[in-house]
Amino acid sequence: MIKLQDIRDTARDMLAKGEARAVIGYRRGSRGMLAEPAFLTRPEEADELVWDPTCFHNLSLYLVHDRKHLAHARKTAGAPVAVIAKGCDARSIVVLLQEHYFQREDVYIIGVSCEGTGVVDERKLAGHLNGAQAISAAFDGDDFVFTTAEGEKRLPAREVMADRCLECCSPFPKEHNLAFGEDKTGRQLEAPFAALDRFEAQGAGERWDNWARHFDRCIRCFACRSVCPMCYCDECVVDSITFPVTTATTAEEKASRIRWIERSAARSENITYLMTRAMHLAGRCTDCGECDRACPVNVPIRLLNNKMEKEAREQFGFEPGASIGGPSLVASFLDNDPGNFIR
Amino acid sequence: MSEQQDYEPRVVAFLCKWCSSAGSDLAGVSRIQYPANATPITVPCTGAISPMYILSAFNKGADGVLVSGCHIGDCHYLEGNYLARRKMYLIMKLLEFIGVEQNRFRMSWVSAAEGAKFAQVITDFVGDLQQLGPQDKLKRAENK
Amino acid sequence: MSKKRTGVFVCHCGTNIAATVDVAKVAREMAAENTVAFTQEYVYMCSEPGQESVVQAIKDNKLDSIVVTCCSPNLHEKTFRDNAQRAGINNFTCEIANIREQCSWVHADKAKGTEKAIKISRSVVRRVNRNQPMDAIAVSVTRRAMVIGGGIAGIQAALDIANAGIEVILVEKQATIGGRMLQLSETFPTLDCSQCVLSPKMVEVKRHPKVKLMTYSEVQEVSGSVGNFRVKVHKRSTFVDPDKCKICDHCTEVCPVVVPNEYELGLTARRAIYIPYAQAIPASFTLDEDACLGLNPIRCGKCKDVCEAGAIDYDMRPQTVTEDVGAIVVATGFDLYGPENMPELGGGRVEDVLDGLQFERLISASGATKGHILRPSDHKEPKEVVFIQCAGSRDPAKHCAYCSKICCMYTAKHARLYKKHVPDGRAYVFYIDIRSGGKGYEEFVQRTMEDDDTLYLRGRVSKLYRKDGKVRVHGTDTLTGQNVEIDADMVVLALAMTPSKGTAEIAKTLKIGRDKDGFLAEAHPKLRPVESVTGGIYLAGAAQAPKDIPETVAQAGAAASKVIALLSQATLSRSPLIAKVRPSHCTGCGMCVEACPFFAIRLENGKAIVNEALCEGCGSCSATCLRAAIDVKNVTQMQIHEMIEACLA
Repeated sequence: MIKLQDIRDTARDMLAKGEARAVIGYRRGSRGMLAEPAFLTRPEEADELVWDPTCFHNLSLYLVHDRKHLAHARKTAGAPVAVIAKGCDARSIVVLLQEHYFQREDVYIIGVSCEGTGVVDERKLAGHLNGAQAISAAFDGDDFVFTTAEGEKRLPAREVMADRCLECCSPFPKEHNLAFGEDKTGRQLEAPFAALDRFEAQGAGERWDNWARHFDRCIRCFACRSVCPMCYCDECVVDSITFPVTTATTAEEKASRIRWIERSAARSENITYLMTRAMHLAGRCTDCGECDRACPVNVPIRLLNNKMEKEAREQFGFEPGASIGGPSLVASFLDNDPGNFIR
Repeated sequence: MSEQQDYEPRVVAFLCKWCSSAGSDLAGVSRIQYPANATPITVPCTGAISPMYILSAFNKGADGVLVSGCHIGDCHYLEGNYLARRKMYLIMKLLEFIGVEQNRFRMSWVSAAEGAKFAQVITDFVGDLQQLGPQDKLKRAENK
Repeated sequence: MSKKRTGVFVCHCGTNIAATVDVAKVAREMAAENTVAFTQEYVYMCSEPGQESVVQAIKDNKLDSIVVTCCSPNLHEKTFRDNAQRAGINNFTCEIANIREQCSWVHADKAKGTEKAIKISRSVVRRVNRNQPMDAIAVSVTRRAMVIGGGIAGIQAALDIANAGIEVILVEKQATIGGRMLQLSETFPTLDCSQCVLSPKMVEVKRHPKVKLMTYSEVQEVSGSVGNFRVKVHKRSTFVDPDKCKICDHCTEVCPVVVPNEYELGLTARRAIYIPYAQAIPASFTLDEDACLGLNPIRCGKCKDVCEAGAIDYDMRPQTVTEDVGAIVVATGFDLYGPENMPELGGGRVEDVLDGLQFERLISASGATKGHILRPSDHKEPKEVVFIQCAGSRDPAKHCAYCSKICCMYTAKHARLYKKHVPDGRAYVFYIDIRSGGKGYEEFVQRTMEDDDTLYLRGRVSKLYRKDGKVRVHGTDTLTGQNVEIDADMVVLALAMTPSKGTAEIAKTLKIGRDKDGFLAEAHPKLRPVESVTGGIYLAGAAQAPKDIPETVAQAGAAASKVIALLSQATLSRSPLIAKVRPSHCTGCGMCVEACPFFAIRLENGKAIVNEALCEGCGSCSATCLRAAIDVKNVTQMQIHEMIEACLA
């Protein structure tokens, strides 16, 4: 069981001694029970840190933001940034390290194990609270305890946890400088890709009908892209709005920008966008589930990324973020990669 | 059914320069007839084919997309077709996953010596696409 | 940017195109493209007047790029690019739209063919719209060569190159050069002594001032490309200084370790310190590290004690040497198909069943039996010998599908040599057919059959096994339809030739291809038979396909002449169609570095950098990059995007 005080003490200590330029963690948010990301720079802020089942944000995203900010301000990094990372978040950091987005010494990983549980799925929780609003949430063994205006509500974590946490078999951040909580690697609450398998069990026609509805709803707000630490490109190849035009932009540069898709949020364009994103995340997505959570119209984006992850694992023996310095999925191959589909 | 017989699928065929494009040249030299539905785009190597091209072709209204290159072990660039095999496998699985008919995407190995095979690959593919009818899942509305 | 002015030239190719494609319509449609300033049709665009009209049209209409819609670019791309240059525009602004092989010849329906021809032409017009003018890249050439493999192929290639005044490094895995030919007794069809022919060449290589000999060495790593390879060679330690060794043989007399002698194919034994063969080059003993008791005076040290020359050095370390060369000849030779794969022929476990090379050693004057044919089991002279051809060859179901080419001839030779040694003996040959194409070959086989009274039986052997001190051979004579049973004193299998062990590794190291049987692949089966698919790497000898000595020598000479031609140039010109990075979009993720088969990309200050000398322009980097930050020049993602659009318009 993780003691919150330990995390706070570590953060305070690091900031006080100047061992970290900042600590990225979670603090109480402004909306109900939810935690929000916090970028702490002063030791006295350490007591704001929280650790509860609503700490779902993948904070490695803010490491990316930090690098962009530094680059924009033309500053050098100096001391590392400390970041609180769950198993999936730590794997994202590993992918970023593999892609040389920053160096290992630039980041101090304070790992937190999800132990036997994970983070809450608000949609699942809503079904259990009968309209009541939770104002706080806490871990307690295999249960989550929610406080509502009517009092405490104890629920088995398994009933309200996010699918990705149920299916997660490595809830412990393997790559870390310091880690809190028990290593429950290999725990199996549900089979990996269980939700995906349920979806895939449908016929092609049904799958299309489902996806067509989802793709129709997409408004291309790009929330999925914004919350994804892997979507760190300044220009998105499938979003011409991100192509900046400055006085320095040459005609040749403008001409070399391909408009693969149209801006309109038509189904065909939404599909192409989401499929491209899934391809670009193949071998890079660590299933933090943030895109899925952030989607305002509930497109099950995670399933697309999950599909790629499943193929990568089953056909190519590939697990994103497993170790720094490993191969990348689409830039490598094995002699016995599947080839039966080729005529 | 009679409607489908008149229907002419539109196919974009990405061919590697060294094997499949040369194989299609051989089909030509040998005067082996095959349907005219597939328009070839010659690229240096199947390894140069971005999955984006496949999506884009469907988005721009292709009824089928073919990727054809050198047999494994014969790549002019040694490894390009290995890289392509993995990339194309992934995009194929993704298309299948969202419910696009399997037969709309095809990959084949056709060597410079396999003119007859090239013609057969196109013939079979076009035949399969005729069964499926027009592709409108990924097709942009203005092209519909 | 001023408006593009493209010219489109539509060729009728007589009726080859015009019969099934409405060429006038193609020209009309192209004229409608807004970058096209000029179109023209002509009956034969590649004819002299056709070419002149292209040049004239470029000049008259101030065209900046052209598309010729005609036959395959393999035929006339160069023709029209030269014309473009002659007319004063860059040759890379000319592209070919293939509407013959890929269209008019394969589609009889004129309406559909025309429609496809328009799509092809339009896509190429769109492509050329974004072609950048560029110049071929000049690369300087390292005027040295390397030959890998010191058999007859390697020796011949090395000598031919060295005699042209070019320095050659000859790398051989074994302790001596000479290869398989050194193991042969006499050679067909002249029956001259193999070693007598080869030894002088070995000495010549050793003494040639332009040849650097590296034996007991293997190529470990190769980087670079045509004209400029960097090769790392690993030289194993022989623990004997060849300059000091007097080949006095005292060391082998005291060495207590006995192991099978590879050179004699296990028919005899050798010591841990040995010389593979009396006339070995370099003339020096080698201490077999794996067999030795421990390279340590405390463990044994007997050889070091008796060596008066002080040539033995237990502390000698292996070395890795880096050599820069401009061209490489691969002549890594062959092995025999493993008899263990053929249980029907004894699986390599039946006594007195030898393979062809073992038989060569048995009849060789320098062999263990000093040229007397004595069978291994009891050292008696065999009176009945069965030779089995195609052992493992021409058997696609179970073994190798191909013909090993030399077995018919060497089996005939074996039978004759056997009769010479054992005049009262009887030789049987099982064969499928006799392939004796070659100067004097057919006559040789005929003499074996007629003069030497060898019994040729057309058919396969179904099984053989040991029985009463003999080898019982069951076969069929398909000409008489009879089953044949022979109790032989000895059996010789003409095993299939396979690429030598390690061919797969060397092919991978050199990044050259192999064929379906594992032999090194030539760039073109007819027109480029001595070149590998990789520029600057050439093939010689049985590593490329089974072949006999004259063919091997001819191919080695051909490979050498290719090397000499290549290295006679001061600079090479390389295609400029290589990868180009857009640094503003590169995040330095390194995926292109990983995907590049040629190690041509590196990261520097967080950006990908392309080494122009190494990039082959395959585009694997471009397809892998998530940000379209790297493109192959003139085949950019933008160009493909517009081509896709044109195909579907």
